[in-house]
Amino acid sequence: MTDPTDTEGLDEDRALAGELALRVLSPAEEAAARAREAADPAFAAEVETWNEQLAGLADGVAPVAPSPYVWPRIESGLPPVAANDNRRLAFWRAWAVGSTGLLAASLAAVVVLMAQPSPVPPAPAPAAPVAVTRVATLTLENGAAAMTIAYDPASGELYLAPTDKMAGDTRVPHLWLVMPEGGVQLVGAIDGSATSRHNLGRALSGKAGQANAVAVSMEAPGHTPAADKPDGPVVASGQLQRL
Amino acid sequence: MSSILTRDELALALGRAGEGDRAAFRRVYEATSAKLLGVTLRILADRQLAEDVLQDTYLTVWRKAGSFDASRASPITWLVTIARNRAIDRLRSGASTRRSTTIDDAFEVADDGPSPAQALETGDDIRRLNDCLGQLDDRTGGAIRTAFIEGATYDALASRENVPLGTMKSWIRRGLLRLRACLES
Repeated sequence: MTDPTDTEGLDEDRALAGELALRVLSPAEEAAARAREAADPAFAAEVETWNEQLAGLADGVAPVAPSPYVWPRIESGLPPVAANDNRRLAFWRAWAVGSTGLLAASLAAVVVLMAQPSPVPPAPAPAAPVAVTRVATLTLENGAAAMTIAYDPASGELYLAPTDKMAGDTRVPHLWLVMPEGGVQLVGAIDGSATSRHNLGRALSGKAGQANAVAVSMEAPGHTPAADKPDGPVVASGQLQRL
Repeated sequence: MSSILTRDELALALGRAGEGDRAAFRRVYEATSAKLLGVTLRILADRQLAEDVLQDTYLTVWRKAGSFDASRASPITWLVTIARNRAIDRLRSGASTRRSTTIDDAFEVADDGPSPAQALETGDDIRRLNDCLGQLDDRTGGAIRTAFIEGATYDALASRENVPLGTMKSWIRRGLLRLRACLES
């Protein structure tokens, strides 16, 4: 692997990082170097430095004005945002504006999808789940509603109806169960941009049947928090209620 | 169409775009899209493909702008790197089969001359890079330039220069290390 005409390992790494940034490697070599980049922060920093230093070569490329239809296409590919197009937190802070109808529609859909007659009171044992659908409306600190969820302990099915405005946040929403004895349990990353369905595994399903509230934390992209403690801020929460 | 922003203004606009500010994102586009299309067009040599990649690039920029760190990278460098990598990915994915009709156009609009009107990067950085490249022998400096601007691999460069693959690798690796030493001296 080491080119004998080259010098020590440090230079070897530096040259490989440069080759990766320059994109001269063969597909197999490039895949190996990318894996290294993902696993080795020092190497990744080296690649970044090369990107920074080589990018000046683009100065030798003449600019070409894009066709007028390119921007509208880009714009139509952006997630919808709140009318006041300001800050990342606009969604969380200003959600309530104009969203009541949306939420009502989501909630109606939840009821239609999830409601079933279920007179039996909930049992704590996960082995014997009972069919009492739970719903929760998660609200922000200021009381504005952020998301509706419904959970069916009989099937383990979880239904999430966030608003389309959640997509404006670059962090990744994670859903948590809040347990009656205190403590939280991670359900997982959720899609903040569209309604989604999940089926909880047996272990989680039992916990979800006992949980009395749910919460959403916002985590850095690519980061998975420990199962019992969010690392990002908890931005919304709501009581689980029997339907 | 394109507006000139200073590096700081562009960094600021990119930061705001990362917070979901579309007007700021639009300013980033206005200031940089011609440069980035130049980059993608030079690699793909097909206007429609290059504009497709440009569209992908800005959607990526929108999603990743929040992770842009002005203390570690210059904004135009960050943008050029995304655009160039996307174009090369497309070039090598085999999806770039329609290059026949517009290749001449592509090379007509793209030349190797400097483009002071779009000099978003500081002139000093560019001058320094060019000085350091100039200290390499011509074929090495030329190979690095071609690799960057056209997205050519070692294989392609070796057959173009009609030298063994190992020779081309050796030129570029040594050239990169010398370039880096010069830039950091």
